[in-house]
Amino acid sequence: MTTALAVPDATAAAAILRRAGVNPYKCYQCKRCTAGCPVAGYAGLHPAQIMRAVQLGQLDLVFADRFIWLCTGCETCSTRCPQDIDVASVIDELKIIARRTGRIHPDAPSAAMLKYNYDSFVRWGRMWEVELIARDALKRPMSLTQWLSLGPKMLLKGKIDPTLKRGDTTAMERMVKTAESITRAREAQRAGGTPPAEADAGASSGKGGAS
Amino acid sequence: MTSIAYYPGCSLHGTSSEFDASFRATARALGLDLVEIPGWECCGNTAAHSINRLLATALPVNELVKVEQDMKLDAVAVPCAACFSRFKAGAHEVAGDPQVAADVRAVVGRPYHGGVTVQNLVDVYHDSVGLETLAARAVRPFQGLKVACYYGCLLTRPPKVTLAEDPEYPTHMDAVTKAIGCRPIDWNYKTDCCGASLALTEQSIVDDLVGRIVSDARACGAEAIVVACPLCQTNLDGRQTEIARKRPDWQGVPVVYLSQLVGRALGLDQKTLGLRKHLVDAAAVMG
Repeated sequence: MTTALAVPDATAAAAILRRAGVNPYKCYQCKRCTAGCPVAGYAGLHPAQIMRAVQLGQLDLVFADRFIWLCTGCETCSTRCPQDIDVASVIDELKIIARRTGRIHPDAPSAAMLKYNYDSFVRWGRMWEVELIARDALKRPMSLTQWLSLGPKMLLKGKIDPTLKRGDTTAMERMVKTAESITRAREAQRAGGTPPAEADAGASSGKGGAS
Repeated sequence: MTSIAYYPGCSLHGTSSEFDASFRATARALGLDLVEIPGWECCGNTAAHSINRLLATALPVNELVKVEQDMKLDAVAVPCAACFSRFKAGAHEVAGDPQVAADVRAVVGRPYHGGVTVQNLVDVYHDSVGLETLAARAVRPFQGLKVACYYGCLLTRPPKVTLAEDPEYPTHMDAVTKAIGCRPIDWNYKTDCCGASLALTEQSIVDDLVGRIVSDARACGAEAIVVACPLCQTNLDGRQTEIARKRPDWQGVPVVYLSQLVGRALGLDQKTLGLRKHLVDAAAVMG
C-alpha cells in the first residue's frame, strides 16, 4: 500500500459494524482469509489488507483497487477466520458503500454486471441471463470478442435459452419498493443521529438490516 | 408419494435446463412429488446482497412463506447451489435477529415461522431418499466409474448458515455416488471456487481457476467431475473449451450434474437427462 494516505474516515469501521453486523477491529492480520482467497493474486490488495484499511478508515485505498469487484462471494474467508469475522459480508458492505457514494473502480466491469443482474430480476421478477450479456455488450462492445468461440458452441448445444420468463412482477415491484424505502429510512436515522462513539450499541441489530 | 416444494431458480429455467429436466426425472423415478412454487421470483442471487441487503434477505424468505403458508409443505428442494445458499441465509438471518425479521416481514407482508427445511440436491438424495433406497432403485448401477465430487462454494459455506458437517472436506455427495456404483476419488479442489459469475467479465481469471480444478481432478484419476450447481457446471464444462484453445495438450474431463449421474443409474435415458448439451462430451462415460 504505497498510495499517499488520504484523509481517513474514522467512522468507516463503525459504520460497517452497524450495517454488516461485523466488527472489523477483531482482525489481527493472521491472513488466513488471504491464503484461501481464489482472487487475491489478481488485484493490488488482498482481503487482510482490505480489513486493515477498514480499521484505519482508509476506504479510498480500498476503492482505488479492483479487489472488491473480483470477490466472487465464495465465503472461504468467512469460513476460516479464527476471529469469526464475516469478511465476505464486509466486502459486500464495501461494494454497497462504493456504489452509493459513486466510488466504483473505473476498471470493474463486474460492478456494472451486478447492477444489470439486479435490474433484470427487479424488472421481470426473474433474472434474464441473455439480457445481462446484451447490456454488457452495449457498454463494452469489445467484451463480445470473449464470446466469439464459446458463444456459438453454447448456442449449438442448446445451452443458451434466449426466451424471457417472468415471475410475479407485481409482488416483486412491491417488495423492491418497500425494501428500498425501509433501507433509506434506516440510513437517514443513522445519518441523523448516532455519533461514532455510540456505534457499537447498534451492532447486534445491523446484520442484513439495511445498507 | 412424498410431496416436496420445488424452487428451480432462474438458471434451471435458462442456461441449465438439463439440470431441471434431470432433477425432475430422478425425483419422479424415486417417488418424490415435486410441487413447483407458483409464481416464484428470483432469489436475488449474488447481486442483491451486494446492492440491497434487506431485499436479499426478503426475496428467499418470501418463497419460504409461500411454501409454509400457501402450499402447507415442510420442505423445499433448491437444487441450484446459489439459490440454496440464499434460502439458507434468509432463514438464518430472520431467525437470528428480531430487527431483520421485522423489516423482512414488512417487505414480504407476512411473517415466516421457520417451518420449512431447505434442501440442496445432495440433501434430497442423501437425506430425503436415503442411500439404501437409492442403491436399491439403481437398476443400472455404474461399474466403478471414478468420479471427482465437486462441491464448490455454496453447498457448504458458510457452515454456520448451511450447517454443513465438514465444510473443508464434505463427503455426502461422495456417499451418494458410491451408492449408485461409482468410485469417488480423493482430491484437492473439492471446495475451491470456480470463479462463479466472473465468467461474464473476467474470463482469464476463471480459466486459471477452472484449469487448476480440472487438472487436479484428472491427475487424481477422475473420469468425470460431478457437480450440484449450474454455474459450476457451466464454468467447468464451458471454460474447458477455451482452455483447450490455449493449451493444445489439454485433455478434457466431462462435467455432469449429480442428478444426471443418479438418473443414469436409475435407468433413465441420456436424452431425458440432457446429456447431449455438454461441451466436453459426457455421453461416453455415462454409458
